[in-house]
Amino acid sequence: MIEIRDVSKRFEEIQAVDHVSINIKEDSVFGLIGTNGAGKSTVLRMMSGVIRPDEGEILVDGIPVFDRVEAKERLFFIADEPYFFANATPEDMGRYYSSVFPRFNLNQYHEYLESFGLGKRRKVGTFSKGMKKQLAILCGICAGTKYLFCDETFDGLDPVMRQGIKSLMAREMDERGMTPIIASHNLRELEDICDHVGLLHKGGVLLSRELEEMKCNIQKVQCVLEAGVSEETAFQGLDMVKSEKRGSLYTLTVRGSREEIVNYFGSISTIFFEALPLSLEEIFISETEVVGYDIKKIILG
Amino acid sequence: MIILDYKDTRPIYEQVVDKLQKLIINGVLEPDSKMPSVRNLAMELSINPNTIQKAYTELERTGFLYTIKGRGNFVTYNEGLYLLKKEEYKEKIEKLLHEAEEIGISREVMLEELKKGEKEND
Repeated sequence: MIEIRDVSKRFEEIQAVDHVSINIKEDSVFGLIGTNGAGKSTVLRMMSGVIRPDEGEILVDGIPVFDRVEAKERLFFIADEPYFFANATPEDMGRYYSSVFPRFNLNQYHEYLESFGLGKRRKVGTFSKGMKKQLAILCGICAGTKYLFCDETFDGLDPVMRQGIKSLMAREMDERGMTPIIASHNLRELEDICDHVGLLHKGGVLLSRELEEMKCNIQKVQCVLEAGVSEETAFQGLDMVKSEKRGSLYTLTVRGSREEIVNYFGSISTIFFEALPLSLEEIFISETEVVGYDIKKIILG
Repeated sequence: MIILDYKDTRPIYEQVVDKLQKLIINGVLEPDSKMPSVRNLAMELSINPNTIQKAYTELERTGFLYTIKGRGNFVTYNEGLYLLKKEEYKEKIEKLLHEAEEIGISREVMLEELKKGEKEND
């Protein structure tokens, strides 16, 4: 378990992270999503003990992570832009990581290098961007750490590689209980692989919940009311997040379970009614819109 | 074994449950045959093993699978499952009929059309 307790971090005038508390359970996939500049990478860097929070503390399996080897050897951080030593080859990197991580699996690492077609004696500097990403991920997976932090890791990988890497992660999760923590903008992808999602906005946590529960608690409804039924009376019992009207057609975003919503609309007079689950992307948009993050308004005035 | 539809808005695990149920009912997965392990299926589909585990648990709850500790998951089949699925389809058709009614095509007209279509195909 990773416990982030009331953590804040400021870089000069910029409040990058503002009183964030999140618990990350083991044996599940945690997705960290957020608006641009919300502090995702800063949170990951603090979680990996690279930078120290100004306030609050971060515990990895109960151990404060900053500058503590016992905590840091439990995790591997795949940075957004992976770093390799100058002139190093994949073989050198493997040797280096196995000196740092006691459970680094060198045999597996060499097997993977071969199956991914990454020459182990080729200079990493001559690799393409995507190949460097692959190499960083393979290092991370082979490090044998319980936690694997991935910062925009799937970006820059082709679709075949994405599937391949996800399959490798699935194996590690099932085999030794690896817990991936993935920060990404690709919500569609996170939706498919995460059990739990934390949504950051302006340095704070908007919500942190099981994905399933999150999706079950918000619905999109389209409906047309019967003539003479006023909107106020019809919708008064709803926990409305957003409503839009075009002609006589209402498009509503409503909190509540599907059952509740369907029952509610069964009791009022509608000519047409349809309830649809929201995708993670739509949840993201509606939750951040509630707190005033709406780019369309900025562009369209 | 199954193919996921990434355009489908349902949670992945529901899709997995639905597709495996179909394979069990139409006999592609034979009664008492062993299901792929959670790890293998997760790797094949490149998805979270927890999702597969959840799908298997759901299939076990609805009576499509049984588990032998340490040996894995096995397929069950009985008439009840067929009826369960039949109910599900009935609900789907009901929903479609309701949608048709909303744009003014009555249930009778719709059912009549369907029957006519069947005869022509014979």
